[in-house]
Amino acid sequence: MDEARRVRLEAWLRAETGDAALAIADLRRLSGGAIQQNWALDVRCGDGCTAAWVLRTDNAATLAVSHGRAEEFALLRAAQAAGVTVPEPLFLCPDRAVIGAPFFVMRRVEGVAAGHRVVRCGTLAGGRRAAAEAVGRELARIHAIRPPRADLPFLGAPPADPAAAFLAGQQRALDRQRDPHPILEWGLRHLARRAPAPITSVLCHNDFRTGNIMFDARGVTAVLDWEFAGWGDPHADLGWLCAKCWRFGNDAEEAGGIGPRDALYAGYVAAGGAPPDPGRVAWWEIAAHLRWATIALDQAERHLSGAEPSLELALTGHIVPQLEWDILAAVEARDAA
Amino acid sequence: MPLERPYTPDLLAIARATLLDEVLPALPEAQRFAVRMVANAIGIAARETALAGDARTALVARVAALTGEAADPLRALAAAIRAGAFDPGTERHAEAARLLKDLARLRCSVSAPKALGGG
Repeated sequence: MDEARRVRLEAWLRAETGDAALAIADLRRLSGGAIQQNWALDVRCGDGCTAAWVLRTDNAATLAVSHGRAEEFALLRAAQAAGVTVPEPLFLCPDRAVIGAPFFVMRRVEGVAAGHRVVRCGTLAGGRRAAAEAVGRELARIHAIRPPRADLPFLGAPPADPAAAFLAGQQRALDRQRDPHPILEWGLRHLARRAPAPITSVLCHNDFRTGNIMFDARGVTAVLDWEFAGWGDPHADLGWLCAKCWRFGNDAEEAGGIGPRDALYAGYVAAGGAPPDPGRVAWWEIAAHLRWATIALDQAERHLSGAEPSLELALTGHIVPQLEWDILAAVEARDAA
Repeated sequence: MPLERPYTPDLLAIARATLLDEVLPALPEAQRFAVRMVANAIGIAARETALAGDARTALVARVAALTGEAADPLRALAAAIRAGAFDPGTERHAEAARLLKDLARLRCSVSAPKALGGG
């Protein structure tokens, strides 16, 4: 961020906080985030205190399906009010003139989120069972947010049939690809044949997985990355978390490689979640593989089209065959059962 | 015919080994992710190059036989699956399932050989 932007940001923060002596002590880019930019922002207030914040803004290329910063700010507020452990949202700036794109500021949270580290460490949050229970409690609190919500108008009307809406979206995602994907079609067809009945929608995080949940030794310190949230079947979040493709290699721990599935469900129910229907979760786990595959195809297309040449995006396309392998195995097992 | 030895798979393999064994350890953490990605890309390219052309051709021929569509057999297969032509209980369901598994195995052998570890 250049000096002019930094000066404008400081002035904006002074006006927003009412602290005319506030000064930016440090501003540095944090790693990660193909869609968003996160900046660690340290400020010194007029009274001499310091504060550790994160500034979150958009990268140049934004996925069409993800919410903007103003929407994510509203979601964080709703989640915080529902008792979900999130970084406290502080200030929102929809004005592009300050740093070039809308942004918001939230309190900085300490902990470990990186998926491969989380699944390897068996002592986070008090051990694997306790960690999975804590994750279940967070998810139940998210799912307690129900439509209609005047503060979340951008989520639109809840789908009458979340599974049907998902299938229609995946069909569109496959239809926009340059190559045919018969194995993904096989998965989609299986899901269409075995679709669960309509269910009342709740707020789904829609990227609730290992990697987006931050832990320390005592528990969950933050549920991150709310930009895909929407109304849907609560089992979709459970399936996304438990899907084999999001266990970061630690397949034996079915709750996202973090801990046992029964501990996840126990925490979920203890915090007020409806007892999960195992058949529905299994359906959404296959759905998760399909969804991740079509996201990967879309990301690879950003490279292939020339819009955003990137080795990381190019390699994302090569994740698809492994997802196909897992889809075939899961479909075979469910059709045989 | 390649013009000079060593040929592509060999060259890519030694280039990848050099990157990982000699370059990577000398780099600060911030650059390591990019180098691991480059090594990953070289690995995929090496496996793709080493793949016997016959394996791919034979699979596409099986798809053409199954769908009766020689021009764009994979697209025909995708459309037929979506239309339910190979659902469980249909005559050629098992044949289609076997074919897709072979196709997935071939694709993984290039993109994600570790996925095949468990069979």
